[in-house]
Amino acid sequence: MRAELRELWRYRELLIAFVVRELRIRYKNSVLGFFWSILNPLATVLVMTLVFKYVMGQQVPNYSAYILAAYLPFMFFQLSVLDASQSVLAQLPLLKKIYFPREILPIGSVIANFIHFVLAMLVFFVYLLAVWLMNPGDNPFRATVVYLPLLMALQLALSLGLALIVSALNTFYEDVKYLVSVGLYLLFFLCPIVYFSEQVWAAPGIDDSYRQTVYTLYHLNPIAMLMTGYRKIMLDPQPIPAFRGGEARHIESLPLDWGLIAVAAAVCIATLLYGYWFFNKKKWQFVERP
Amino acid sequence: MKNAAIHVEGLCKEFDLLHSGYASLKGMLLWWKNKRRERLRALRDVSLSVRPGECVAVVGKNGAGKSTLLGVLARVYKPTSGRVELDGRVAPLLELGAGFHPDLTGYENVFFNGVILGLTRREVAERMDSIVAFSEIGDYIDAPVRTYSSGMLLRLGFSVAVHVDASILLVDEALAVGDIEFQQKCLKRIEEFRAGGGAILFVSHDMHAVRQAADRAVWMRSGQVIMDGPTGAVIDAYEAESGTEPTG
Repeated sequence: MRAELRELWRYRELLIAFVVRELRIRYKNSVLGFFWSILNPLATVLVMTLVFKYVMGQQVPNYSAYILAAYLPFMFFQLSVLDASQSVLAQLPLLKKIYFPREILPIGSVIANFIHFVLAMLVFFVYLLAVWLMNPGDNPFRATVVYLPLLMALQLALSLGLALIVSALNTFYEDVKYLVSVGLYLLFFLCPIVYFSEQVWAAPGIDDSYRQTVYTLYHLNPIAMLMTGYRKIMLDPQPIPAFRGGEARHIESLPLDWGLIAVAAAVCIATLLYGYWFFNKKKWQFVERP
Repeated sequence: MKNAAIHVEGLCKEFDLLHSGYASLKGMLLWWKNKRRERLRALRDVSLSVRPGECVAVVGKNGAGKSTLLGVLARVYKPTSGRVELDGRVAPLLELGAGFHPDLTGYENVFFNGVILGLTRREVAERMDSIVAFSEIGDYIDAPVRTYSSGMLLRLGFSVAVHVDASILLVDEALAVGDIEFQQKCLKRIEEFRAGGGAILFVSHDMHAVRQAADRAVWMRSGQVIMDGPTGAVIDAYEAESGTEPTG
Protein backbone atom coordinates (compact mmCIF):
# COMPACT_ATOMS: atom_id res chain seq x y z
CA MET A 1 0.00 0.00 0.00
CA ARG A 2 2.89 2.37 0.70
CA ALA A 3 4.32 1.78 -2.75
CA GLU A 4 0.91 2.57 -4.25
CA LEU A 5 0.73 5.78 -2.26
CA ARG A 6 4.18 6.80 -3.39
CA GLU A 7 3.18 6.16 -6.99
CA LEU A 8 0.06 8.30 -6.50
CA TRP A 9 2.22 11.08 -5.07
CA ARG A 10 4.50 10.84 -8.08
CA TYR A 11 1.47 11.46 -10.27
CA ARG A 12 0.11 14.36 -8.22
CA GLU A 13 0.45 16.71 -11.20
CA LEU A 14 -1.94 14.51 -13.13
CA LEU A 15 -4.38 14.44 -10.22
CA ILE A 16 -4.41 18.24 -10.13
CA ALA A 17 -4.78 18.47 -13.92
CA PHE A 18 -7.62 15.96 -13.75
CA VAL A 19 -9.49 17.92 -11.07
CA VAL A 20 -9.06 21.14 -13.06
CA ARG A 21 -10.37 19.35 -16.13
CA GLU A 22 -13.41 17.99 -14.27
CA LEU A 23 -14.30 21.45 -13.03
CA ARG A 24 -13.85 22.93 -16.51
CA ILE A 25 -15.98 20.29 -18.22
CA ARG A 26 -18.82 20.83 -15.81
CA TYR A 27 -19.13 24.53 -16.51
CA LYS A 28 -18.01 24.66 -20.08
CA ASN A 29 -21.38 25.24 -21.64
CA SER A 30 -22.93 27.48 -19.05
CA VAL A 31 -22.29 31.12 -18.42
CA LEU A 32 -23.43 31.08 -14.82
CA GLY A 33 -21.04 28.27 -13.98
CA PHE A 34 -20.87 27.65 -10.28
CA PHE A 35 -24.18 29.34 -9.61
CA TRP A 36 -26.05 26.59 -11.40
CA SER A 37 -24.65 24.07 -8.99
CA ILE A 38 -25.77 26.16 -6.05
CA LEU A 39 -29.14 26.98 -7.59
CA ASN A 40 -30.14 23.33 -7.50
CA PRO A 41 -29.86 22.87 -3.70
CA LEU A 42 -31.31 26.31 -3.02
CA ALA A 43 -34.39 25.58 -5.13
CA THR A 44 -34.74 22.13 -3.56
CA VAL A 45 -34.49 23.51 -0.06
CA LEU A 46 -37.02 26.21 -0.87
CA VAL A 47 -39.56 23.60 -1.95
CA MET A 48 -38.75 21.36 1.03
CA THR A 49 -39.27 24.31 3.36
CA LEU A 50 -42.63 25.13 1.83
CA VAL A 51 -43.83 21.55 2.01
CA PHE A 52 -42.49 20.49 5.37
CA LYS A 53 -43.06 23.74 7.18
CA TYR A 54 -46.45 24.77 5.87
CA VAL A 55 -48.00 21.46 4.87
CA MET A 56 -46.46 18.98 7.30
CA GLY A 57 -46.16 21.43 10.17
CA GLN A 58 -42.43 21.42 10.96
CA GLN A 59 -42.72 24.61 13.00
CA VAL A 60 -39.08 25.47 13.60
CA PRO A 61 -37.71 29.00 13.27
CA ASN A 62 -35.19 29.35 10.45
CA TYR A 63 -36.09 25.85 9.25
CA SER A 64 -34.41 26.35 5.83
CA ALA A 65 -31.02 26.81 7.48
CA TYR A 66 -31.43 23.45 9.25
CA ILE A 67 -32.30 21.75 5.98
CA LEU A 68 -29.41 23.40 4.15
CA ALA A 69 -26.93 22.47 6.88
CA ALA A 70 -27.66 18.80 6.24
CA TYR A 71 -28.80 18.83 2.61
CA LEU A 72 -25.71 20.51 1.16
CA PRO A 73 -23.34 17.91 2.63
CA PHE A 74 -25.72 15.12 1.65
CA MET A 75 -26.00 16.36 -1.89
CA PHE A 76 -22.24 16.48 -2.33
CA PHE A 77 -21.86 13.05 -0.79
CA GLN A 78 -24.39 11.75 -3.28
CA LEU A 79 -22.77 13.50 -6.26
CA SER A 80 -19.30 12.33 -5.24
CA VAL A 81 -20.29 8.69 -5.17
CA LEU A 82 -22.48 8.84 -8.29
CA ASP A 83 -19.97 10.75 -10.43
CA ALA A 84 -17.13 8.55 -9.29
CA SER A 85 -19.05 5.36 -10.04
CA GLN A 86 -18.79 6.17 -13.75
CA SER A 87 -15.31 7.64 -13.66
CA VAL A 88 -13.27 4.57 -14.52
CA LEU A 89 -15.68 3.06 -17.03
CA ALA A 90 -15.99 6.33 -18.95
CA GLN A 91 -12.22 6.51 -19.41
CA LEU A 92 -11.71 2.87 -20.34
CA PRO A 93 -10.53 3.64 -23.90
CA LEU A 94 -7.81 5.87 -22.45
CA LEU A 95 -6.92 3.27 -19.82
CA LYS A 96 -6.28 0.78 -22.59
CA LYS A 97 -3.72 3.10 -24.16
CA ILE A 98 -1.66 4.57 -21.40
CA TYR A 99 -0.54 3.97 -17.87
CA PHE A 100 -1.30 6.22 -14.93
CA PRO A 101 -2.47 5.27 -11.45
CA ARG A 102 -6.08 4.36 -12.09
CA GLU A 103 -7.21 5.63 -8.70
CA ILE A 104 -6.66 9.15 -10.01
CA LEU A 105 -10.02 8.91 -11.80
CA PRO A 106 -12.34 8.29 -8.81
CA ILE A 107 -10.17 10.34 -6.43
CA GLY A 108 -10.10 13.29 -8.84
CA SER A 109 -13.82 13.09 -9.34
CA VAL A 110 -14.45 13.14 -5.57
CA ILE A 111 -12.03 16.03 -5.05
CA ALA A 112 -13.74 18.08 -7.78
CA ASN A 113 -17.05 17.55 -5.99
CA PHE A 114 -15.46 18.33 -2.66
CA ILE A 115 -14.28 21.69 -3.98
CA HIS A 116 -17.89 22.41 -4.90
CA PHE A 117 -18.93 21.38 -1.46
CA VAL A 118 -16.52 23.83 0.17
CA LEU A 119 -17.79 26.64 -2.07
CA ALA A 120 -21.40 25.69 -1.32
CA MET A 121 -20.68 25.85 2.41
CA LEU A 122 -19.30 29.36 1.92
CA VAL A 123 -22.56 30.29 0.23
CA PHE A 124 -24.37 28.75 3.20
CA PHE A 125 -22.52 31.06 5.58
CA VAL A 126 -23.45 34.01 3.40
CA TYR A 127 -27.06 32.85 3.72
CA LEU A 128 -26.75 32.68 7.53
CA LEU A 129 -25.30 36.16 7.53
CA ALA A 130 -28.13 37.45 5.34
CA VAL A 131 -30.76 35.94 7.64
CA TRP A 132 -29.02 37.53 10.60
CA LEU A 133 -28.88 40.94 8.90
CA MET A 134 -32.60 40.85 8.15
CA ASN A 135 -33.43 39.62 11.62
CA PRO A 136 -30.58 40.56 13.97
CA GLY A 137 -30.46 38.36 17.00
CA ASP A 138 -27.56 36.49 18.45
CA ASN A 139 -24.28 36.01 16.69
CA PRO A 140 -25.06 34.16 13.42
CA PHE A 141 -22.15 31.75 13.84
CA ARG A 142 -21.58 29.38 16.73
CA ALA A 143 -18.12 28.84 18.20
CA THR A 144 -18.40 25.09 17.52
CA VAL A 145 -18.20 25.84 13.81
CA VAL A 146 -14.47 25.20 14.28
CA TYR A 147 -15.33 21.49 14.13
CA LEU A 148 -16.67 21.88 10.61
CA PRO A 149 -13.35 20.98 8.89
CA LEU A 150 -13.24 17.78 10.97
CA LEU A 151 -16.70 16.69 9.84
CA MET A 152 -15.94 17.62 6.25
CA ALA A 153 -12.70 15.65 6.36
CA LEU A 154 -14.59 12.60 7.64
CA GLN A 155 -17.14 12.99 4.87
CA LEU A 156 -14.32 13.27 2.35
CA ALA A 157 -12.78 10.04 3.67
CA LEU A 158 -16.10 8.23 3.46
CA SER A 159 -16.83 9.57 -0.05
CA LEU A 160 -13.36 8.58 -1.27
CA GLY A 161 -13.65 5.08 0.18
CA LEU A 162 -17.08 4.46 -1.33
CA ALA A 163 -16.07 6.07 -4.64
CA LEU A 164 -13.08 3.73 -4.93
CA ILE A 165 -15.20 0.65 -4.19
CA VAL A 166 -18.11 1.64 -6.42
CA SER A 167 -15.98 2.76 -9.37
CA ALA A 168 -14.06 -0.52 -9.32
CA LEU A 169 -17.21 -2.63 -9.09
CA ASN A 170 -19.03 -0.61 -11.71
CA THR A 171 -16.25 -1.32 -14.18
CA PHE A 172 -17.04 -5.02 -14.00
CA TYR A 173 -20.76 -4.89 -13.32
CA GLU A 174 -22.36 -1.96 -15.04
CA ASP A 175 -25.58 -2.22 -13.05
CA VAL A 176 -23.78 -1.29 -9.85
CA LYS A 177 -24.43 2.38 -10.52
CA TYR A 178 -28.20 1.77 -10.61
CA LEU A 179 -28.08 -0.04 -7.29
CA VAL A 180 -25.98 2.79 -5.89
CA SER A 181 -28.37 5.47 -7.06
CA VAL A 182 -31.33 3.63 -5.49
CA GLY A 183 -29.31 3.21 -2.31
CA LEU A 184 -28.44 6.90 -2.19
CA TYR A 185 -32.06 7.85 -2.81
CA LEU A 186 -33.22 5.71 0.11
CA LEU A 187 -30.39 7.02 2.26
CA PHE A 188 -31.88 10.49 1.94
CA PHE A 189 -34.84 9.38 4.07
CA LEU A 190 -32.62 7.66 6.61
CA CYS A 191 -30.72 10.87 7.31
CA PRO A 192 -31.88 13.84 9.35
CA ILE A 193 -32.42 16.25 6.47
CA VAL A 194 -36.09 17.23 6.34
CA TYR A 195 -36.61 16.10 9.92
CA PHE A 196 -34.47 16.27 13.07
CA SER A 197 -32.58 13.56 14.88
CA GLU A 198 -34.58 14.51 18.01
CA GLN A 199 -37.69 13.45 16.15
CA VAL A 200 -36.17 10.02 15.69
CA TRP A 201 -35.57 9.92 19.41
CA ALA A 202 -39.15 10.97 20.12
CA ALA A 203 -40.73 8.94 17.31
CA PRO A 204 -44.30 8.01 18.21
CA GLY A 205 -43.95 4.37 17.19
CA ILE A 206 -41.14 3.60 19.62
CA ASP A 207 -41.50 2.37 23.17
CA ASP A 208 -39.73 4.51 25.80
CA SER A 209 -37.36 1.73 26.77
CA TYR A 210 -35.95 1.47 23.24
CA ARG A 211 -35.42 5.17 22.57
CA GLN A 212 -31.72 5.24 23.25
CA THR A 213 -31.13 2.02 21.29
CA VAL A 214 -33.00 3.28 18.22
CA TYR A 215 -31.27 6.65 18.42
CA THR A 216 -27.87 4.96 18.59
CA LEU A 217 -28.63 2.48 15.81
CA TYR A 218 -29.88 5.30 13.60
CA HIS A 219 -26.60 7.13 14.10
CA LEU A 220 -24.40 4.16 13.41
CA ASN A 221 -25.00 5.15 9.80
CA PRO A 222 -22.03 7.48 9.43
CA ILE A 223 -23.82 9.77 7.00
CA ALA A 224 -26.76 10.25 9.38
CA MET A 225 -24.30 10.98 12.18
CA LEU A 226 -22.42 13.52 10.06
CA MET A 227 -25.70 15.27 9.13
CA THR A 228 -26.67 15.50 12.79
CA GLY A 229 -23.17 16.76 13.51
CA TYR A 230 -23.26 19.49 10.84
CA ARG A 231 -26.48 20.86 12.27
CA LYS A 232 -25.38 20.82 15.86
CA ILE A 233 -22.04 22.49 15.32
CA MET A 234 -23.31 25.19 12.97
CA LEU A 235 -26.79 26.05 14.19
CA ASP A 236 -28.29 26.97 17.54
CA PRO A 237 -30.06 24.27 19.52
CA GLN A 238 -33.77 24.88 19.73
CA PRO A 239 -36.87 23.01 20.86
CA ILE A 240 -37.99 20.55 18.22
CA PRO A 241 -41.65 19.73 17.61
CA ALA A 242 -42.42 16.09 18.36
CA PHE A 243 -45.65 14.46 17.30
CA ARG A 244 -46.93 12.03 19.86
CA GLY A 245 -50.46 10.91 20.52
CA GLY A 246 -51.89 13.20 17.88
CA GLU A 247 -50.79 16.43 19.50
CA ALA A 248 -47.65 18.40 18.93
CA ARG A 249 -45.33 19.25 21.77
CA HIS A 250 -41.74 20.41 21.84
CA ILE A 251 -38.73 18.54 23.11
CA GLU A 252 -35.37 19.98 24.00
CA SER A 253 -32.51 19.69 21.57
CA LEU A 254 -30.18 16.79 22.37
CA PRO A 255 -26.46 17.49 22.73
CA LEU A 256 -23.99 16.24 20.12
CA ASP A 257 -22.86 12.75 21.09
CA TRP A 258 -19.08 12.75 20.53
CA GLY A 259 -18.95 9.05 21.20
CA LEU A 260 -21.12 8.45 18.15
CA ILE A 261 -19.00 10.90 16.16
CA ALA A 262 -15.98 8.79 17.08
CA VAL A 263 -17.75 5.67 15.83
CA ALA A 264 -18.63 7.46 12.58
CA ALA A 265 -15.01 8.61 12.24
CA ALA A 266 -13.80 5.04 12.64
CA VAL A 267 -16.26 3.83 9.99
CA CYS A 268 -15.25 6.62 7.57
CA ILE A 269 -11.55 5.93 7.91
CA ALA A 270 -12.02 2.17 7.70
CA THR A 271 -14.08 2.66 4.51
CA LEU A 272 -11.32 4.77 3.00
CA LEU A 273 -8.63 2.21 3.82
CA TYR A 274 -10.70 -0.71 2.61
CA GLY A 275 -11.73 1.15 -0.56
CA TYR A 276 -8.14 2.02 -1.39
CA TRP A 277 -7.01 -1.54 -0.81
CA PHE A 278 -9.92 -2.97 -2.81
CA PHE A 279 -9.37 -0.62 -5.76
CA ASN A 280 -5.69 -1.40 -5.92
CA LYS A 281 -6.44 -5.10 -5.86
CA LYS A 282 -8.78 -4.74 -8.82
CA LYS A 283 -7.20 -1.99 -10.89
CA TRP A 284 -5.07 -4.14 -13.16
CA GLN A 285 -8.13 -6.07 -14.26
CA PHE A 286 -10.06 -3.04 -15.54
CA VAL A 287 -8.49 -3.14 -19.00
CA GLU A 288 -8.88 -6.92 -19.17
CA ARG A 289 -12.61 -6.67 -18.60
CA PRO A 290 -14.38 -8.94 -21.07
CA MET B 1 21.42 -7.05 -24.19
CA LYS B 2 22.91 -4.11 -22.35
CA ASN B 3 21.91 -0.50 -22.99
CA ALA B 4 18.73 -1.39 -24.83
CA ALA B 5 15.93 1.14 -24.73
CA ILE B 6 13.37 -1.65 -24.74
CA HIS B 7 14.33 -5.09 -23.58
CA VAL B 8 11.75 -7.84 -23.38
CA GLU B 9 12.56 -11.38 -22.37
CA GLY B 10 10.32 -14.40 -22.18
CA LEU B 11 7.22 -12.24 -22.02
CA CYS B 12 3.90 -14.05 -21.64
CA LYS B 13 0.49 -12.51 -21.30
CA GLU B 14 -2.70 -14.47 -20.75
CA PHE B 15 -6.23 -13.15 -20.64
CA ASP B 16 -9.29 -14.76 -19.14
CA LEU B 17 -11.83 -15.43 -21.81
CA LEU B 18 -15.25 -15.74 -20.25
CA HIS B 19 -17.80 -17.07 -22.59
CA SER B 20 -20.72 -15.00 -21.43
CA GLY B 21 -18.57 -12.17 -20.11
CA TYR B 22 -19.68 -10.54 -16.91
CA ALA B 23 -19.95 -6.86 -17.55
CA SER B 24 -23.32 -6.86 -15.79
CA LEU B 25 -24.81 -8.65 -12.83
CA LYS B 26 -27.05 -10.55 -15.22
CA GLY B 27 -23.99 -11.63 -17.12
CA MET B 28 -22.37 -12.76 -13.91
CA LEU B 29 -25.40 -14.84 -12.93
CA LEU B 30 -25.49 -16.47 -16.35
CA TRP B 31 -21.78 -17.04 -16.16
CA TRP B 32 -22.29 -18.68 -12.79
CA LYS B 33 -24.54 -21.24 -14.44
CA ASN B 34 -22.16 -21.89 -17.26
CA LYS B 35 -18.77 -21.52 -15.72
CA ARG B 36 -16.55 -22.17 -18.67
CA ARG B 37 -13.25 -20.47 -18.43
CA GLU B 38 -10.62 -20.27 -21.07
CA ARG B 39 -7.25 -18.64 -21.11
CA LEU B 40 -6.23 -16.70 -24.17
CA ARG B 41 -2.49 -16.74 -24.54
CA ALA B 42 -1.98 -13.41 -26.24
CA LEU B 43 1.81 -13.38 -25.90
CA ARG B 44 3.90 -16.53 -25.64
CA ASP B 45 7.51 -16.21 -24.71
CA VAL B 46 8.21 -13.01 -26.62
CA SER B 47 11.74 -11.64 -26.53
CA LEU B 48 12.97 -8.59 -28.35
CA SER B 49 15.16 -5.54 -27.93
CA VAL B 50 15.16 -2.08 -29.36
CA ARG B 51 18.31 -0.02 -29.13
CA PRO B 52 18.32 3.75 -28.69
CA GLY B 53 17.90 5.44 -32.06
CA GLU B 54 16.40 2.36 -33.62
CA CYS B 55 12.99 2.09 -35.25
CA VAL B 56 11.45 -1.36 -35.10
CA ALA B 57 8.21 -2.37 -36.77
CA VAL B 58 5.99 -5.18 -35.54
CA VAL B 59 3.96 -6.85 -38.26
CA GLY B 60 1.49 -9.69 -38.26
CA LYS B 61 -2.17 -10.48 -38.77
CA ASN B 62 -4.97 -9.21 -36.55
CA GLY B 63 -4.93 -11.05 -33.25
CA ALA B 64 -1.24 -11.88 -33.46
CA GLY B 65 -0.59 -10.05 -30.19
CA LYS B 66 0.93 -6.84 -31.59
CA SER B 67 -1.34 -4.47 -29.69
CA THR B 68 -1.06 -6.54 -26.52
CA LEU B 69 2.71 -6.18 -26.78
CA LEU B 70 2.39 -2.40 -27.05
CA GLY B 71 -0.07 -2.51 -24.13
CA VAL B 72 2.40 -4.35 -21.92
CA LEU B 73 5.17 -1.91 -22.88
CA ALA B 74 2.87 1.04 -22.12
CA ARG B 75 2.25 -0.59 -18.70
CA VAL B 76 -1.44 -0.93 -19.42
CA TYR B 77 -1.28 -4.69 -18.88
CA LYS B 78 0.68 -6.49 -16.24
CA PRO B 79 2.72 -9.29 -17.80
CA THR B 80 1.75 -12.80 -16.71
CA SER B 81 5.42 -13.73 -16.71
CA GLY B 82 8.66 -12.57 -18.24
CA ARG B 83 10.75 -9.46 -17.98
CA VAL B 84 10.21 -6.01 -19.43
CA GLU B 85 12.88 -3.34 -19.09
CA LEU B 86 12.33 0.16 -20.35
CA ASP B 87 15.05 2.75 -20.20
CA GLY B 88 13.49 6.20 -20.15
CA ARG B 89 10.08 7.76 -20.47
CA VAL B 90 7.59 5.94 -22.63
CA ALA B 91 5.09 7.89 -24.73
CA PRO B 92 2.34 5.96 -26.45
CA LEU B 93 1.12 7.85 -29.49
CA LEU B 94 -2.57 8.03 -28.61
CA GLU B 95 -5.07 7.27 -31.34
CA LEU B 96 -7.25 9.92 -32.87
CA GLY B 97 -7.87 12.17 -29.93
CA ALA B 98 -7.94 9.45 -27.25
CA GLY B 99 -8.12 11.29 -23.97
CA PHE B 100 -9.42 14.43 -25.63
CA HIS B 101 -12.66 15.76 -24.24
CA PRO B 102 -14.88 17.16 -27.02
CA ASP B 103 -16.20 20.10 -25.00
CA LEU B 104 -12.81 21.38 -23.95
CA THR B 105 -10.64 23.57 -26.13
CA GLY B 106 -7.56 22.28 -27.88
CA TYR B 107 -5.48 24.22 -25.40
CA GLU B 108 -7.13 22.60 -22.39
CA ASN B 109 -6.86 19.15 -23.92
CA VAL B 110 -3.18 19.59 -24.75
CA PHE B 111 -2.66 20.54 -21.14
CA PHE B 112 -4.27 17.38 -19.85
CA ASN B 113 -2.66 15.13 -22.44
CA GLY B 114 0.78 16.55 -21.77
CA VAL B 115 0.43 15.87 -18.07
CA ILE B 116 -0.90 12.37 -18.67
CA LEU B 117 2.19 11.71 -20.81
CA GLY B 118 4.38 12.68 -17.87
CA LEU B 119 5.03 16.41 -18.08
CA THR B 120 4.32 18.76 -15.22
CA ARG B 121 1.73 21.49 -15.75
CA ARG B 122 4.52 24.01 -15.89
CA GLU B 123 6.42 22.10 -18.56
CA VAL B 124 3.28 21.89 -20.69
CA ALA B 125 2.77 25.63 -20.35
CA GLU B 126 6.36 26.26 -21.42
CA ARG B 127 6.01 24.06 -24.49
CA MET B 128 2.53 25.13 -25.44
CA ASP B 129 3.62 27.56 -28.15
CA SER B 130 5.87 25.01 -29.74
CA ILE B 131 3.17 22.29 -29.60
CA VAL B 132 0.59 24.57 -31.18
CA ALA B 133 3.03 25.77 -33.85
CA PHE B 134 3.99 22.23 -34.82
CA SER B 135 0.37 21.08 -35.08
CA GLU B 136 -0.50 24.02 -37.39
CA ILE B 137 -3.82 24.33 -35.57
CA GLY B 138 -3.49 28.11 -35.28
CA ASP B 139 -6.32 30.00 -33.67
CA TYR B 140 -8.46 26.88 -33.48
CA ILE B 141 -6.48 25.97 -30.38
CA ASP B 142 -9.02 28.01 -28.41
CA ALA B 143 -12.02 26.27 -29.96
CA PRO B 144 -13.60 23.12 -28.50
CA VAL B 145 -12.09 20.02 -30.09
CA ARG B 146 -15.53 18.78 -31.14
CA THR B 147 -15.23 21.36 -33.91
CA TYR B 148 -11.94 19.87 -35.13
CA SER B 149 -11.55 17.75 -38.22
CA SER B 150 -10.01 14.32 -37.75
CA GLY B 151 -6.83 15.60 -39.38
CA MET B 152 -6.57 18.39 -36.83
CA LEU B 153 -7.07 15.92 -33.97
CA LEU B 154 -4.34 13.69 -35.33
CA ARG B 155 -1.93 16.58 -35.81
CA LEU B 156 -2.52 17.91 -32.32
CA GLY B 157 -2.21 14.45 -30.73
CA PHE B 158 1.01 13.78 -32.61
CA SER B 159 2.38 17.17 -31.71
CA VAL B 160 1.83 16.59 -27.98
CA ALA B 161 3.43 13.15 -28.11
CA VAL B 162 6.63 14.40 -29.74
CA HIS B 163 6.97 17.25 -27.26
CA VAL B 164 7.06 15.25 -24.05
CA ASP B 165 10.78 14.33 -24.13
CA ALA B 166 10.08 10.65 -24.24
CA SER B 167 12.92 8.35 -25.11
CA ILE B 168 10.63 5.54 -26.26
CA LEU B 169 7.75 6.12 -28.64
CA LEU B 170 5.06 3.44 -29.02
CA VAL B 171 3.03 3.84 -32.17
CA ASP B 172 -0.08 1.91 -33.14
CA GLU B 173 -0.64 2.10 -36.89
CA ALA B 174 0.36 5.57 -38.07
CA LEU B 175 3.86 6.94 -37.81
CA ALA B 176 2.99 9.98 -39.86
CA VAL B 177 -0.39 11.64 -39.89
CA GLY B 178 -2.27 14.29 -41.81
CA ASP B 179 -1.75 15.36 -45.40
CA ILE B 180 1.43 14.70 -47.38
CA GLU B 181 3.03 17.91 -46.25
CA PHE B 182 2.37 17.22 -42.58
CA GLN B 183 3.47 13.62 -42.97
CA GLN B 184 6.83 14.87 -44.23
CA LYS B 185 7.07 17.03 -41.16
CA CYS B 186 6.23 14.06 -38.92
CA LEU B 187 8.89 11.92 -40.53
CA LYS B 188 11.43 14.69 -40.18
CA ARG B 189 10.56 15.01 -36.52
CA ILE B 190 10.83 11.24 -36.09
CA GLU B 191 14.30 11.40 -37.66
CA GLU B 192 15.34 14.09 -35.18
CA PHE B 193 13.89 12.02 -32.37
CA ARG B 194 15.94 9.01 -33.43
CA ALA B 195 19.07 11.06 -33.96
CA GLY B 196 18.69 12.15 -30.34
CA GLY B 197 18.72 8.52 -29.24
CA GLY B 198 14.97 7.89 -29.16
CA ALA B 199 13.69 4.38 -29.78
CA ILE B 200 10.49 3.63 -31.69
CA LEU B 201 8.40 0.51 -31.70
CA PHE B 202 5.53 0.66 -34.12
CA VAL B 203 2.79 -1.66 -35.16
CA SER B 204 1.52 -1.34 -38.68
CA HIS B 205 -0.35 -3.06 -41.47
CA ASP B 206 1.01 -0.60 -44.00
CA MET B 207 3.95 -2.48 -45.50
CA HIS B 208 5.06 0.51 -47.57
CA ALA B 209 5.41 2.57 -44.42
CA VAL B 210 7.24 -0.25 -42.66
CA ARG B 211 9.73 -0.69 -45.48
CA GLN B 212 10.30 3.03 -45.57
CA ALA B 213 10.73 3.73 -41.87
CA ALA B 214 11.84 0.63 -40.01
CA ASP B 215 15.43 -0.48 -39.48
CA ARG B 216 14.27 -3.85 -38.35
CA ALA B 217 11.00 -5.76 -38.36
CA VAL B 218 9.51 -8.34 -36.03
CA TRP B 219 6.89 -10.72 -37.40
CA MET B 220 4.39 -12.06 -34.89
CA ARG B 221 1.90 -14.89 -35.22
CA SER B 222 -0.38 -16.28 -32.48
CA GLY B 223 1.48 -14.42 -29.79
CA GLN B 224 4.91 -15.63 -30.84
CA VAL B 225 7.80 -13.98 -32.62
CA ILE B 226 8.25 -15.86 -35.89
CA MET B 227 11.02 -13.78 -37.34
CA ASP B 228 13.16 -10.86 -36.24
CA GLY B 229 15.59 -9.30 -38.69
CA PRO B 230 16.23 -6.74 -41.42
CA THR B 231 13.02 -5.11 -42.59
CA GLY B 232 13.21 -6.25 -46.22
CA ALA B 233 13.70 -9.92 -45.45
CA VAL B 234 11.02 -10.09 -42.77
CA ILE B 235 8.41 -8.27 -44.83
CA ASP B 236 9.15 -10.42 -47.88
CA ALA B 237 8.65 -13.56 -45.81
CA TYR B 238 5.48 -12.20 -44.19
CA GLU B 239 3.98 -11.20 -47.52
CA ALA B 240 4.92 -14.51 -49.07
CA GLU B 241 3.11 -16.37 -46.31
CA SER B 242 -0.01 -14.27 -46.25
CA GLY B 243 -0.14 -14.35 -50.04
CA THR B 244 -0.44 -10.62 -50.58
CA GLU B 245 1.12 -8.65 -53.38
CA PRO B 246 4.75 -8.01 -52.50
CA THR B 247 5.37 -4.34 -51.80
CA GLY B 248 9.14 -4.41 -52.05
